[in-house]
Amino acid sequence: MKLSGLAAGLVVVWLLLGLPARAESPASEAPWYVPDHAALQFAGSIGMLAAGPGWAFLDEQVDVQMLLGWAPRSVAGADFVTLTLKAQWHPFRITRGDWSIRPLTIGAAFSYTFGDRYFLTLPDRYEPGYYWFKTALRPALLLGGSVGHAVPELGVSLLEGYYELVATDYRIVQFVQNPLTVNTGLFSLALGARLRF
Amino acid sequence: MRYWLPWLLLLFAGCGVFELHPYEVRGGEQDVNARALEKLQRDRADGSFRFAVMGDIGVFLKEAKDAMKDVAQRDVDFVIQVGDLTEFSSAQEYGWVASLLDDAPVPSLAVIGNHDLLGTGRQLFLHHFGTPELVFDYGGSRFVLFDSNSREFDFPGDVPDLDRLRAELMAPPRGGHLFTFSHVPPWHADFDPSLKEPFEDLQAERNVAVSFHGHVHRFSSDAREGVRYFITDALELRNYLVVTVAGESVRIEQVFY
Repeated sequence: MKLSGLAAGLVVVWLLLGLPARAESPASEAPWYVPDHAALQFAGSIGMLAAGPGWAFLDEQVDVQMLLGWAPRSVAGADFVTLTLKAQWHPFRITRGDWSIRPLTIGAAFSYTFGDRYFLTLPDRYEPGYYWFKTALRPALLLGGSVGHAVPELGVSLLEGYYELVATDYRIVQFVQNPLTVNTGLFSLALGARLRF
Repeated sequence: MRYWLPWLLLLFAGCGVFELHPYEVRGGEQDVNARALEKLQRDRADGSFRFAVMGDIGVFLKEAKDAMKDVAQRDVDFVIQVGDLTEFSSAQEYGWVASLLDDAPVPSLAVIGNHDLLGTGRQLFLHHFGTPELVFDYGGSRFVLFDSNSREFDFPGDVPDLDRLRAELMAPPRGGHLFTFSHVPPWHADFDPSLKEPFEDLQAERNVAVSFHGHVHRFSSDAREGVRYFITDALELRNYLVVTVAGESVRIEQVFY
Protein backbone atom coordinates (compact mmCIF):
# COMPACT_ATOMS: atom_id res chain seq x y z
CA MET A 1 0.00 0.00 0.00
CA LYS A 2 1.18 3.47 -0.89
CA LEU A 3 0.64 4.81 2.61
CA SER A 4 2.97 2.34 4.28
CA GLY A 5 6.11 4.12 3.07
CA LEU A 6 4.85 7.40 4.39
CA ALA A 7 3.82 5.86 7.70
CA ALA A 8 7.25 4.30 8.11
CA GLY A 9 8.82 7.67 7.37
CA LEU A 10 6.64 9.36 9.94
CA VAL A 11 7.56 6.83 12.59
CA VAL A 12 11.26 7.40 11.88
CA VAL A 13 10.80 11.17 12.17
CA TRP A 14 8.93 10.70 15.42
CA LEU A 15 11.66 8.48 16.80
CA LEU A 16 14.41 10.87 15.78
CA LEU A 17 12.60 13.81 17.32
CA GLY A 18 11.46 11.88 20.33
CA LEU A 19 14.78 10.47 21.44
CA PRO A 20 16.61 13.72 22.23
CA ALA A 21 13.53 15.10 23.96
CA ARG A 22 13.48 12.07 26.18
CA ALA A 23 17.07 12.71 27.08
CA GLU A 24 16.40 16.40 27.72
CA SER A 25 13.48 15.93 30.08
CA PRO A 26 14.06 12.93 32.32
CA ALA A 27 11.72 14.48 34.88
CA SER A 28 8.74 14.09 32.56
CA GLU A 29 6.60 11.22 33.76
CA ALA A 30 4.59 10.47 30.64
CA PRO A 31 6.28 8.45 27.92
CA TRP A 32 7.38 10.56 24.95
CA TYR A 33 4.63 9.35 22.66
CA VAL A 34 1.81 10.74 24.81
CA PRO A 35 0.87 14.03 23.16
CA ASP A 36 1.29 17.17 25.21
CA HIS A 37 -0.81 19.43 23.07
CA ALA A 38 -3.60 19.39 20.52
CA ALA A 39 -4.26 21.75 17.65
CA LEU A 40 -7.27 22.80 15.60
CA GLN A 41 -6.57 24.72 12.41
CA PHE A 42 -8.63 26.54 9.82
CA ALA A 43 -7.33 26.56 6.19
CA GLY A 44 -3.60 26.52 5.36
CA SER A 45 -3.89 24.13 2.36
CA ILE A 46 -4.43 21.07 4.58
CA GLY A 47 -8.24 21.16 4.74
CA MET A 48 -10.89 23.59 5.86
CA LEU A 49 -10.47 22.21 9.37
CA ALA A 50 -7.57 20.10 10.55
CA ALA A 51 -7.03 18.72 14.03
CA GLY A 52 -4.63 16.43 15.80
CA PRO A 53 -2.14 15.77 18.56
CA GLY A 54 1.25 17.37 18.99
CA TRP A 55 4.46 16.86 20.85
CA ALA A 56 6.77 19.53 22.21
CA PHE A 57 10.50 19.09 22.56
CA LEU A 58 13.51 21.09 23.74
CA ASP A 59 11.68 23.11 26.36
CA GLU A 60 8.73 23.67 23.98
CA GLN A 61 10.95 25.36 21.42
CA VAL A 62 10.13 22.67 18.88
CA ASP A 63 6.67 21.28 18.15
CA VAL A 64 5.72 18.35 15.98
CA GLN A 65 2.09 17.87 15.03
CA MET A 66 0.06 15.28 13.20
CA LEU A 67 -3.12 16.79 11.75
CA LEU A 68 -6.01 15.14 10.01
CA GLY A 69 -7.66 17.67 7.72
CA TRP A 70 -10.93 17.79 5.87
CA ALA A 71 -12.52 20.11 3.34
CA PRO A 72 -16.11 19.49 2.25
CA ARG A 73 -17.32 19.43 -1.34
CA SER A 74 -19.86 22.16 -0.61
CA VAL A 75 -17.10 24.67 0.08
CA ALA A 76 -13.98 23.33 -1.67
CA GLY A 77 -15.63 21.86 -4.78
CA ALA A 78 -14.45 18.34 -3.91
CA ASP A 79 -13.99 16.37 -0.70
CA PHE A 80 -10.43 16.46 0.51
CA VAL A 81 -8.94 14.40 3.33
CA THR A 82 -5.31 15.04 4.20
CA LEU A 83 -2.81 13.87 6.76
CA THR A 84 -0.19 16.46 7.65
CA LEU A 85 3.03 16.20 9.57
CA LYS A 86 4.16 19.59 10.74
CA ALA A 87 7.38 20.58 12.50
CA GLN A 88 7.79 24.05 13.96
CA TRP A 89 10.51 25.95 15.71
CA HIS A 90 9.72 28.85 18.06
CA PRO A 91 13.07 30.53 18.72
CA PHE A 92 11.69 33.17 21.14
CA ARG A 93 9.17 33.26 23.92
CA ILE A 94 8.03 36.37 25.76
CA THR A 95 6.17 35.76 29.03
CA ARG A 96 4.12 38.46 30.80
CA GLY A 97 2.11 37.14 33.73
CA ASP A 98 -0.36 34.64 32.34
CA TRP A 99 0.45 35.62 28.76
CA SER A 100 2.94 33.84 26.58
CA ILE A 101 3.87 35.24 23.18
CA ARG A 102 5.89 33.47 20.51
CA PRO A 103 6.45 36.19 17.94
CA LEU A 104 8.17 33.97 15.39
CA THR A 105 7.47 30.45 14.28
CA ILE A 106 9.36 28.82 11.44
CA GLY A 107 8.29 25.45 10.21
CA ALA A 108 7.78 22.92 7.49
CA ALA A 109 4.96 20.55 6.68
CA PHE A 110 4.32 17.52 4.53
CA SER A 111 0.74 16.91 3.59
CA TYR A 112 -0.60 13.69 2.11
CA THR A 113 -3.93 13.79 0.29
CA PHE A 114 -5.94 10.56 0.27
CA GLY A 115 -7.65 9.38 -2.90
CA ASP A 116 -7.16 7.69 -6.27
CA ARG A 117 -6.88 10.99 -8.09
CA TYR A 118 -3.51 11.71 -6.47
CA PHE A 119 -0.33 9.71 -6.75
CA LEU A 120 2.67 9.13 -4.52
CA THR A 121 4.37 6.86 -7.03
CA LEU A 122 3.69 7.41 -10.74
CA PRO A 123 0.92 5.18 -12.13
CA ASP A 124 2.01 2.54 -14.65
CA ARG A 125 0.84 4.52 -17.66
CA TYR A 126 3.74 6.96 -17.23
CA GLU A 127 7.43 6.55 -17.97
CA PRO A 128 9.64 7.08 -14.88
CA GLY A 129 10.15 10.79 -14.34
CA TYR A 130 7.17 11.82 -16.51
CA TYR A 131 6.08 14.13 -13.70
CA TRP A 132 8.81 15.33 -11.36
CA PHE A 133 6.45 15.97 -8.44
CA LYS A 134 3.96 13.84 -6.51
CA THR A 135 0.39 15.08 -6.59
CA ALA A 136 -0.47 13.35 -3.29
CA LEU A 137 2.37 14.83 -1.28
CA ARG A 138 2.71 18.57 -0.72
CA PRO A 139 5.68 20.03 1.10
CA ALA A 140 5.19 23.53 2.49
CA LEU A 141 7.14 26.15 4.40
CA LEU A 142 5.50 27.91 7.35
CA LEU A 143 5.99 31.29 8.97
CA GLY A 144 3.85 32.48 11.86
CA GLY A 145 3.41 33.47 15.45
CA SER A 146 1.18 32.81 18.44
CA VAL A 147 -0.26 34.32 21.58
CA GLY A 148 -1.21 32.17 24.55
CA HIS A 149 -2.91 32.52 27.90
CA ALA A 150 -3.09 30.13 30.82
CA VAL A 151 -6.53 28.62 31.47
CA PRO A 152 -6.05 26.40 34.53
CA GLU A 153 -9.83 26.15 35.10
CA LEU A 154 -10.11 24.18 31.83
CA GLY A 155 -7.23 21.93 32.73
CA VAL A 156 -4.94 23.39 30.09
CA SER A 157 -1.71 25.11 30.92
CA LEU A 158 -1.89 27.27 27.85
CA LEU A 159 -4.53 28.13 25.23
CA GLU A 160 -2.73 29.55 22.22
CA GLY A 161 -4.10 31.23 19.14
CA TYR A 162 -1.82 31.20 16.13
CA TYR A 163 -1.58 32.40 12.60
CA GLU A 164 0.52 30.82 9.92
CA LEU A 165 1.61 31.91 6.46
CA VAL A 166 1.79 28.80 4.32
CA ALA A 167 3.89 28.57 1.16
CA THR A 168 3.19 25.29 -0.63
CA ASP A 169 5.71 23.94 -3.13
CA TYR A 170 3.42 25.04 -6.00
CA ARG A 171 3.51 28.60 -4.83
CA ILE A 172 7.25 28.59 -4.14
CA VAL A 173 8.08 27.22 -7.60
CA GLN A 174 5.86 29.76 -9.36
CA PHE A 175 7.11 32.57 -7.15
CA VAL A 176 10.78 31.80 -7.80
CA GLN A 177 10.09 31.47 -11.52
CA ASN A 178 7.82 34.52 -11.82
CA PRO A 179 8.45 36.84 -8.85
CA LEU A 180 6.99 39.90 -10.54
CA THR A 181 3.97 38.16 -11.95
CA VAL A 182 2.66 36.32 -8.91
CA ASN A 183 4.06 38.55 -6.19
CA THR A 184 0.99 38.37 -3.99
CA GLY A 185 0.55 34.63 -4.20
CA LEU A 186 3.43 33.16 -2.22
CA PHE A 187 1.46 32.64 0.99
CA SER A 188 -1.98 31.62 2.06
CA LEU A 189 -3.15 32.20 5.62
CA ALA A 190 -4.06 29.67 8.31
CA LEU A 191 -5.57 30.39 11.72
CA GLY A 192 -5.56 27.98 14.59
CA ALA A 193 -5.78 27.22 18.27
CA ARG A 194 -3.49 25.03 20.35
CA LEU A 195 -4.16 23.58 23.77
CA ARG A 196 -1.09 22.72 25.82
CA PHE A 197 -1.95 20.23 28.56
CA MET B 1 -17.49 28.87 20.60
CA ARG B 2 -19.97 31.55 19.60
CA TYR B 3 -22.65 30.69 17.08
CA TRP B 4 -21.38 33.24 14.55
CA LEU B 5 -17.85 31.89 14.45
CA PRO B 6 -18.41 29.17 11.80
CA TRP B 7 -20.11 31.74 9.58
CA LEU B 8 -17.27 34.17 10.04
CA LEU B 9 -14.79 31.47 9.07
CA LEU B 10 -16.83 30.62 5.98
CA LEU B 11 -16.83 34.29 5.05
CA PHE B 12 -13.05 34.35 5.39
CA ALA B 13 -12.85 31.20 3.29
CA GLY B 14 -14.57 33.12 0.52
CA CYS B 15 -11.74 35.58 0.11
CA GLY B 16 -8.50 34.57 -1.55
CA VAL B 17 -6.38 34.80 1.59
CA PHE B 18 -7.28 31.29 2.67
CA GLU B 19 -6.57 28.10 0.77
CA LEU B 20 -8.41 25.04 1.98
CA HIS B 21 -6.55 22.64 -0.27
CA PRO B 22 -4.08 23.03 -3.17
CA TYR B 23 -6.64 21.39 -5.51
CA GLU B 24 -9.73 23.21 -4.23
CA VAL B 25 -12.28 24.19 -6.87
CA ARG B 26 -13.79 27.56 -6.00
CA GLY B 27 -13.57 31.27 -6.70
CA GLY B 28 -11.61 33.05 -9.41
CA GLU B 29 -12.63 33.82 -12.97
CA GLN B 30 -15.21 31.44 -14.38
CA ASP B 31 -16.22 30.42 -17.93
CA VAL B 32 -13.23 32.26 -19.41
CA ASN B 33 -13.62 30.58 -22.83
CA ALA B 34 -17.31 31.44 -23.09
CA ARG B 35 -16.61 35.01 -22.03
CA ALA B 36 -13.85 35.33 -24.63
CA LEU B 37 -16.35 34.22 -27.29
CA GLU B 38 -18.86 36.78 -26.04
CA LYS B 39 -16.23 39.49 -26.41
CA LEU B 40 -15.34 38.34 -29.90
CA GLN B 41 -17.36 40.47 -32.33
CA ARG B 42 -18.07 37.69 -34.69
CA ASP B 43 -19.98 39.57 -37.37
CA ARG B 44 -17.13 42.00 -38.11
CA ALA B 45 -14.68 39.83 -40.02
CA ASP B 46 -15.46 37.87 -43.10
CA GLY B 47 -12.82 35.86 -44.88
CA SER B 48 -9.87 37.91 -43.66
CA PHE B 49 -8.71 38.13 -40.08
CA ARG B 50 -5.77 37.27 -37.81
CA PHE B 51 -5.50 35.14 -34.73
CA ALA B 52 -2.64 34.03 -32.48
CA VAL B 53 -1.73 30.57 -31.19
CA MET B 54 0.27 30.39 -27.97
CA GLY B 55 2.20 27.47 -26.53
CA ASP B 56 2.56 25.87 -23.11
CA ILE B 57 2.53 28.25 -20.14
CA GLY B 58 3.42 25.91 -17.25
CA VAL B 59 5.88 27.80 -15.04
CA PHE B 60 6.35 30.57 -17.63
CA LEU B 61 3.67 32.91 -16.34
CA LYS B 62 5.88 35.97 -16.76
CA GLU B 63 6.50 35.15 -20.43
CA ALA B 64 2.78 34.46 -20.86
CA LYS B 65 1.95 37.85 -19.41
CA ASP B 66 4.43 39.53 -21.78
CA ALA B 67 2.96 37.59 -24.70
CA MET B 68 -0.52 38.83 -23.80
CA LYS B 69 0.81 42.39 -23.86
CA ASP B 70 2.52 41.77 -27.18
CA VAL B 71 -0.61 40.53 -28.98
CA ALA B 72 -2.14 43.98 -28.54
CA GLN B 73 0.46 45.31 -31.05
CA ARG B 74 -0.10 42.56 -33.63
CA ASP B 75 -3.62 43.40 -34.71
CA VAL B 76 -4.95 39.93 -33.97
CA ASP B 77 -8.63 39.30 -33.27
CA PHE B 78 -8.21 36.57 -30.67
CA VAL B 79 -5.77 34.13 -29.06
CA ILE B 80 -5.93 30.37 -28.59
CA GLN B 81 -3.56 28.81 -26.05
CA VAL B 82 -2.86 25.13 -26.79
CA GLY B 83 -2.79 23.64 -23.27
CA ASP B 84 -0.61 23.19 -20.19
CA LEU B 85 -1.86 26.37 -18.61
CA THR B 86 -0.42 25.11 -15.34
CA GLU B 87 2.47 22.98 -14.16
CA PHE B 88 0.75 21.27 -11.19
CA SER B 89 -2.99 21.75 -11.85
CA SER B 90 -3.14 23.65 -8.56
CA ALA B 91 -6.06 25.93 -7.80
CA GLN B 92 -3.68 28.84 -7.40
CA GLU B 93 -2.13 28.43 -10.85
CA TYR B 94 -5.55 27.95 -12.45
CA GLY B 95 -6.64 31.17 -10.78
CA TRP B 96 -3.62 33.11 -12.05
CA VAL B 97 -3.93 31.83 -15.63
CA ALA B 98 -7.71 32.31 -15.75
CA SER B 99 -7.34 35.95 -14.79
CA LEU B 100 -4.38 36.36 -17.18
CA LEU B 101 -6.50 35.18 -20.10
CA ASP B 102 -9.60 37.00 -18.92
CA ASP B 103 -7.70 40.31 -18.65
CA ALA B 104 -5.82 39.86 -21.95
CA PRO B 105 -6.12 42.74 -24.45
CA VAL B 106 -7.86 40.46 -26.99
CA PRO B 107 -10.31 37.61 -26.34
CA SER B 108 -8.28 34.55 -25.30
CA LEU B 109 -9.34 30.92 -25.11
CA ALA B 110 -7.55 27.85 -23.78
CA VAL B 111 -7.25 24.17 -24.69
CA ILE B 112 -6.70 21.60 -21.90
CA GLY B 113 -3.23 20.04 -21.48
CA ASN B 114 -1.98 16.99 -19.61
CA HIS B 115 -0.60 19.07 -16.73
CA ASP B 116 -4.04 20.68 -16.37
CA LEU B 117 -5.64 17.29 -15.70
CA LEU B 118 -3.75 16.25 -12.56
CA GLY B 119 -5.73 15.80 -9.35
CA THR B 120 -8.96 17.76 -9.68
CA GLY B 121 -7.62 19.40 -12.86
CA ARG B 122 -10.51 18.52 -15.13
CA GLN B 123 -12.94 19.95 -12.58
CA LEU B 124 -10.76 23.07 -12.29
CA PHE B 125 -10.73 23.50 -16.08
CA LEU B 126 -14.52 23.16 -16.23
CA HIS B 127 -14.84 25.68 -13.40
CA HIS B 128 -12.48 28.32 -14.81
CA PHE B 129 -12.70 27.78 -18.59
CA GLY B 130 -15.73 25.61 -19.35
CA THR B 131 -15.85 22.52 -21.54
CA PRO B 132 -12.51 21.45 -23.09
CA GLU B 133 -14.44 20.51 -26.25
CA LEU B 134 -15.38 23.76 -27.94
CA VAL B 135 -16.50 24.71 -31.45
CA PHE B 136 -17.08 28.19 -32.78
CA ASP B 137 -17.23 29.99 -36.12
CA TYR B 138 -15.42 33.21 -36.89
CA GLY B 139 -15.03 35.10 -40.16
CA GLY B 140 -16.55 32.22 -42.06
CA SER B 141 -14.05 29.71 -40.65
CA ARG B 142 -14.61 27.04 -38.01
CA PHE B 143 -12.47 26.47 -34.92
CA VAL B 144 -12.54 23.14 -33.09
CA LEU B 145 -10.82 22.78 -29.68
CA PHE B 146 -10.54 19.31 -28.13
CA ASP B 147 -8.82 17.14 -25.54
CA SER B 148 -6.10 14.84 -26.94
CA ASN B 149 -4.37 13.97 -23.64
CA SER B 150 -4.96 10.23 -24.06
CA ARG B 151 -2.28 9.11 -21.61
CA GLU B 152 -3.86 11.04 -18.72
CA PHE B 153 -6.96 8.86 -19.09
CA ASP B 154 -4.85 5.69 -19.62
CA PHE B 155 -5.77 5.41 -23.32
CA PRO B 156 -9.50 4.66 -22.98
CA GLY B 157 -10.03 4.72 -26.77
CA ASP B 158 -12.20 7.83 -26.85
CA VAL B 159 -9.63 10.52 -26.04
CA PRO B 160 -9.73 12.29 -28.41
CA ASP B 161 -13.39 11.58 -29.08
CA LEU B 162 -13.38 10.94 -32.83
CA ASP B 163 -17.17 10.51 -33.07
CA ARG B 164 -17.64 13.93 -31.64
CA LEU B 165 -14.91 15.39 -33.85
CA ARG B 166 -16.45 13.81 -36.93
CA ALA B 167 -19.71 15.61 -36.15
CA GLU B 168 -17.96 18.89 -35.39
CA LEU B 169 -15.64 18.93 -38.39
CA MET B 170 -18.39 19.99 -40.78
CA ALA B 171 -17.72 22.29 -43.69
CA PRO B 172 -17.32 25.86 -42.42
CA PRO B 173 -20.48 27.94 -42.79
CA ARG B 174 -19.28 30.43 -45.39
CA GLY B 175 -16.72 28.34 -47.21
CA GLY B 176 -13.82 29.40 -44.99
CA HIS B 177 -11.27 27.15 -43.35
CA LEU B 178 -11.30 24.46 -40.68
CA PHE B 179 -8.79 24.85 -37.84
CA THR B 180 -8.26 22.30 -35.06
CA PHE B 181 -6.49 22.77 -31.72
CA SER B 182 -5.40 20.26 -29.10
CA HIS B 183 -2.49 19.82 -26.74
CA VAL B 184 -0.85 16.51 -27.75
CA PRO B 185 -0.07 16.10 -31.48
CA PRO B 186 -1.28 12.84 -33.07
CA TRP B 187 2.14 11.30 -33.70
CA HIS B 188 3.28 11.78 -30.08
CA ALA B 189 3.49 8.76 -27.72
CA ASP B 190 0.98 10.45 -25.37
CA PHE B 191 -1.68 10.43 -28.11
CA ASP B 192 -3.63 7.16 -28.25
CA PRO B 193 -1.67 5.17 -30.89
CA SER B 194 -4.81 3.32 -31.98
CA LEU B 195 -6.44 6.68 -32.84
CA LYS B 196 -3.49 8.28 -34.63
CA GLU B 197 -4.34 7.05 -38.13
CA PRO B 198 -8.11 7.39 -37.84
CA PHE B 199 -7.60 10.92 -36.54
CA GLU B 200 -5.21 11.94 -39.31
CA ASP B 201 -7.51 10.35 -41.89
CA LEU B 202 -10.49 12.25 -40.46
CA GLN B 203 -8.66 15.56 -40.54
CA ALA B 204 -7.66 14.93 -44.17
CA GLU B 205 -11.14 13.78 -45.16
CA ARG B 206 -12.70 16.91 -43.69
CA ASN B 207 -10.12 19.18 -45.34
CA VAL B 208 -8.76 20.67 -42.14
CA ALA B 209 -6.53 23.60 -43.14
CA VAL B 210 -4.22 23.66 -40.12
CA SER B 211 -4.00 21.60 -36.93
CA PHE B 212 -2.30 23.34 -33.96
CA HIS B 213 -0.69 21.60 -30.98
CA GLY B 214 1.69 22.11 -28.06
CA HIS B 215 3.10 19.66 -25.49
CA VAL B 216 6.52 19.17 -27.16
CA HIS B 217 7.71 22.69 -26.16
CA ARG B 218 9.64 23.01 -29.44
CA PHE B 219 8.35 24.53 -32.67
CA SER B 220 7.88 22.23 -35.65
CA SER B 221 5.64 21.97 -38.67
CA ASP B 222 4.64 19.08 -40.84
CA ALA B 223 2.19 18.18 -43.60
CA ARG B 224 0.30 14.89 -43.31
CA GLU B 225 -2.20 13.74 -45.89
CA GLY B 226 -2.48 17.32 -47.09
CA VAL B 227 -3.19 18.74 -43.63
CA ARG B 228 -0.70 21.22 -42.15
CA TYR B 229 0.33 20.60 -38.52
CA PHE B 230 2.04 23.15 -36.32
CA ILE B 231 3.57 22.64 -32.88
CA THR B 232 4.25 25.82 -30.90
CA ASP B 233 7.30 26.59 -28.80
CA ALA B 234 6.60 26.77 -25.06
CA LEU B 235 6.22 30.43 -24.07
CA GLU B 236 9.57 30.17 -22.30
CA LEU B 237 11.07 30.79 -25.77
CA ARG B 238 9.12 34.05 -26.05
CA ASN B 239 7.35 33.50 -29.32
CA TYR B 240 3.97 32.48 -30.64
CA LEU B 241 2.23 31.98 -33.96
CA VAL B 242 0.22 34.59 -35.83
CA VAL B 243 -2.17 33.22 -38.41
CA THR B 244 -3.38 35.54 -41.17
CA VAL B 245 -6.41 34.38 -43.09
CA ALA B 246 -7.22 36.20 -46.33
CA GLY B 247 -9.75 34.38 -48.47
CA GLU B 248 -8.12 31.19 -49.71
CA SER B 249 -4.76 32.00 -48.18
CA VAL B 250 -3.70 31.01 -44.66
CA ARG B 251 -0.29 32.41 -43.67
CA ILE B 252 1.42 31.33 -40.45
CA GLU B 253 4.35 33.20 -38.95
CA GLN B 254 6.29 32.74 -35.74
CA VAL B 255 6.58 36.09 -33.97
CA PHE B 256 9.10 36.79 -31.20
CA TYR B 257 8.64 39.35 -28.44
